[in-house]
Amino acid sequence: MFRVPLAKAISLGSPKRVANIAVRASASAASTPAKAPERIEVFVDDIPVQVLPGTTVLQAAAMVGVEIPRFCYHERLAVAGNCRMCLVEVEKSPKPVAACAMPVMKGWRIKTNSDLTKKAREGVMEFLLMNHPLDCPICDQGGECDLQDQAMAFGSDRSRFTDINFTGKRAVEDKDIGPLVKTIMTRCIHCTRCIRFASEIAGVDDLGTTGRGNDMQVGTYVEKLFLTELSGNVIDLCPVGALTNKPYSFVARPWEIRKIDSIDVMDAIGSNIIVSTRTGEVLRILPRENEEVNEEWLADKGRFACDGLKRQRLIAPMLRTPSGELQAVEWESTLIAVAKAVRKAPKGSVVAIAGSMADVEAMVATKDLLNRIGSEIVCTEQSLPTQGSGSDLRSNYLLNSSIQALEEADVVLLVGTNPRYEAPLLNTRLRKSYVHNELELALIGPKVDLSYKYQHLGDGAELINQISTGTHPFAQKLKNAKKPAIILGSEMLARPDGAGILATLQSFANKISKPEWNAFNVLHQNASQVGALDVGYRPGVETALKAQPKVVFLLGADAGIVTREKLPKDCFVVYIGHHGDAGATIADAVLPGAAYTEKQATYVNTEGRSQQTLCAVNPPGLAREDWKIIRALSEVVGEPLPYDTLDELRERVEDIAPHLVQHGKLETNSFATLAEQLAKDKKIDNSKITVRQQTLKDYFMTDPISRASPTMAKCIAAVKKQEAKAH
Amino acid sequence: MAGREAVRKTVQQVRPILSIDRDEARKRVLNLYKAWYRQIPYIVMDYDIPMSVEQCREKLREEFMKHSNVSDIRVIDMLVIKGQMELKESVEIWKQKGHIMRYWKETVEPKPTDFLSKFLNNQN
Amino acid sequence: MATITRILAKDVSAFWPRAFFSTSNAVFTSSREAPLKDPSAVIAKPEEVEQKKKLSGVITVPTKVDISPITGVPEEHVKTRRVRIYMPAKNAMQSGTNNLNYWKIDFDNRERWENPLMGWCSTGDPLSNMQVEFNSKDEAIDFCEKNGWRWFVESLPAPKKEKPKSYGINFSFNKRTRVSTK
Repeated sequence: MFRVPLAKAISLGSPKRVANIAVRASASAASTPAKAPERIEVFVDDIPVQVLPGTTVLQAAAMVGVEIPRFCYHERLAVAGNCRMCLVEVEKSPKPVAACAMPVMKGWRIKTNSDLTKKAREGVMEFLLMNHPLDCPICDQGGECDLQDQAMAFGSDRSRFTDINFTGKRAVEDKDIGPLVKTIMTRCIHCTRCIRFASEIAGVDDLGTTGRGNDMQVGTYVEKLFLTELSGNVIDLCPVGALTNKPYSFVARPWEIRKIDSIDVMDAIGSNIIVSTRTGEVLRILPRENEEVNEEWLADKGRFACDGLKRQRLIAPMLRTPSGELQAVEWESTLIAVAKAVRKAPKGSVVAIAGSMADVEAMVATKDLLNRIGSEIVCTEQSLPTQGSGSDLRSNYLLNSSIQALEEADVVLLVGTNPRYEAPLLNTRLRKSYVHNELELALIGPKVDLSYKYQHLGDGAELINQISTGTHPFAQKLKNAKKPAIILGSEMLARPDGAGILATLQSFANKISKPEWNAFNVLHQNASQVGALDVGYRPGVETALKAQPKVVFLLGADAGIVTREKLPKDCFVVYIGHHGDAGATIADAVLPGAAYTEKQATYVNTEGRSQQTLCAVNPPGLAREDWKIIRALSEVVGEPLPYDTLDELRERVEDIAPHLVQHGKLETNSFATLAEQLAKDKKIDNSKITVRQQTLKDYFMTDPISRASPTMAKCIAAVKKQEAKAH
Repeated sequence: MAGREAVRKTVQQVRPILSIDRDEARKRVLNLYKAWYRQIPYIVMDYDIPMSVEQCREKLREEFMKHSNVSDIRVIDMLVIKGQMELKESVEIWKQKGHIMRYWKETVEPKPTDFLSKFLNNQN
Repeated sequence: MATITRILAKDVSAFWPRAFFSTSNAVFTSSREAPLKDPSAVIAKPEEVEQKKKLSGVITVPTKVDISPITGVPEEHVKTRRVRIYMPAKNAMQSGTNNLNYWKIDFDNRERWENPLMGWCSTGDPLSNMQVEFNSKDEAIDFCEKNGWRWFVESLPAPKKEKPKSYGINFSFNKRTRVSTK
């Protein structure tokens, strides 16, 4: 059923009501009292609205809930003004104006529904459709296509297109731009959104137009892949079916799928996503708008690695036979076998190690179980220096400035990190600030392509000392900045001199921090890390390995940091996780858990925002939700945990750390100065700083899900092929 | 949980369904109970169910007591209407033997309630 | 469609019945004949009249209503389900936003599989296809309370900042916003 636009449907009511309905579109605009007095008044369909000077006609209309049709305009991209769909009538103006590019003037009366406006729209639509193929039935965009929607709502009901000479419609050759984005260029309406996205947001000038008029084509000039860590977003941006999702092509229609809101766990940003499913199968992942986290973008790993959820899965509990093979068995016998091993182990010799995708609930349950059987050693794979205040103070391990606020920073120093691949959506924020805010950046670490210009200070660790003592010229810039920020990569903290680097940068950051602005930031790579530290996990596996454990629980620990050689011979390894990866291969007992799309679970992102995933599909086979496995095991061990439902478990989590159940809210932290006082060791080795993910091919496979994904494998192959080419 | 908010008002004015106060609702419930009570011997006989009259009356009491905590007059009225319909259907032999026997749920396998059995059964 | 009726119901419900009754009354008063009477009302006993009058009034009930005994929803699906109350998010593939301004409820997910016979979707969840739209969060909460479900409200993401866009910055000579490719 086609929905009549809201404003139209209620136009019989008073104009005031229309303004009330646009609650979400721009809450700040209509409701907050005008703080700046220089607002000017305009009238959209006779509804008065107060706007800031320079606001475009289209934005002013959006404030009162009137949506002007558009193809080329996108609020996060530069104004192009080339599709002409947003033409509206303005009183006393001789011609209709392009609403997306025209700033309003005082007292303007904009008519978004007048005869002239309608005629203009119908005209534009007729021209667009004249050269657009009628292949909606075989088009992947069908059902969620802006051209379809707007042709229905604003187009004419008849066509004058009679191809009397049978010359055919315009046809354009398809381009091969990589394994992620499929192109059907005949459908292109030249809105140039993809071009603007590539050059403004992704920072690669690969896409562009050639030719003019009817011969205009969007393409890559030479045959070349359009492969960046953000390439999937052009699929969302494309208002027609010219750029579509290649792995998802011909898979499903939008009306067949169920959409479940969730959180991405491929990096520590915690991008908001929508998981599309049908018949218990994840089909695709789309970004969900959240201004504070991912705006409306999504990195390629989060979007395309979802086909890894169907491969290499652990679907039945397994025990290692004496001959050394893993054999699928029933839950009962597995739980009993694990419980036996746990009971036999002397006090304090049971340890747990949480991997990159462990959720807060499972980690809390594991910790509770271990504490009940007299063990204190629970830790994470990724390490963080524990000297000084270590993980006791949240400000030591968080991105304190917050992702959204980093947009406002004016001088940023990156230390031992490559945000472009470690956190692509943080990099887009930095790039946004670089473009719009004249942000100045410098990097200590290997020289990498960050998609924007920066000052490369070198890759020696001694530079950190030079910065902190103020002898380096860039230190002065940081000191003079209004909102300076230092972003420290999590790999730096795993170095032997991590404590020294942390302490040195923290004390320097405290010197340059302003009130309400903490300049010290740690950028994590693991979605589980902050949550684990928040509930009291110890960073790093050293303590666990030193304890000579008899039983090791691996909560999805797949990074290969824990190996058989590092553990005692008689150690019983229990793997709880969803993929057959490094962890499962060394395990004596495998308990199949749920991946992030299969459980309602809490994750805390690198800025300390707790968010929850929702269960989109059920865990495959005999797999169960992770916390339930621990809870069931506790009963077999004889120390039943006091929670049977997720709500009860969440109450327990709330007792430990209340912010973890306040989903979506950012919990601020202080004590930054205290941390500095507690830090003692400031020694830094003069060794080279390096990062794991340096080029695009390092980006695609970093965790068990993406390692199991065939699409990600194709991406790596495509990048390698591209590198082998001459140009 | 997070987001839970207290309900503000405690009472509200609504249109009645059958009864206008608790006494009247109670009277209707008792009437229905008595009607069932009297009909049970005939139902047992007509449907030829393998249950005694006493067992049926026990079940009748159980079914009524299941809703003993309902306090809303409109909900009580609605339950009475539904009970009346059931009675009518039973007495007029619009039902069959299986429908009557369904009150005892003899063929329904009870689902586990403790955590471990639920876990092994993969039941929420 | 639902959007329209929702809004209409909200605004118009107050004057609709009045409008209808006023016209029908006008017909009666204008005619010369004696007004038609309902025969059942004429022959009703006094106590029946009394009862009818009482029923046309109002009664006081507690606001916290639990209709789960009469909805017919199996007890299992009342006690074990968690309801999520939220506003649907914009589809990233489309630019329109007019059909998003309502509140929705969703149940926790249950098993779903492809039917081996025809490949259609099967589900073990009788409630998952219930699509109810609400004008406000409170209405959704009341609905869940009434049905005896446990619920939680998903908080809305922060509103966007108002930032005027400019066509001119594409061509500024001294800013990084100058466009390179066309």
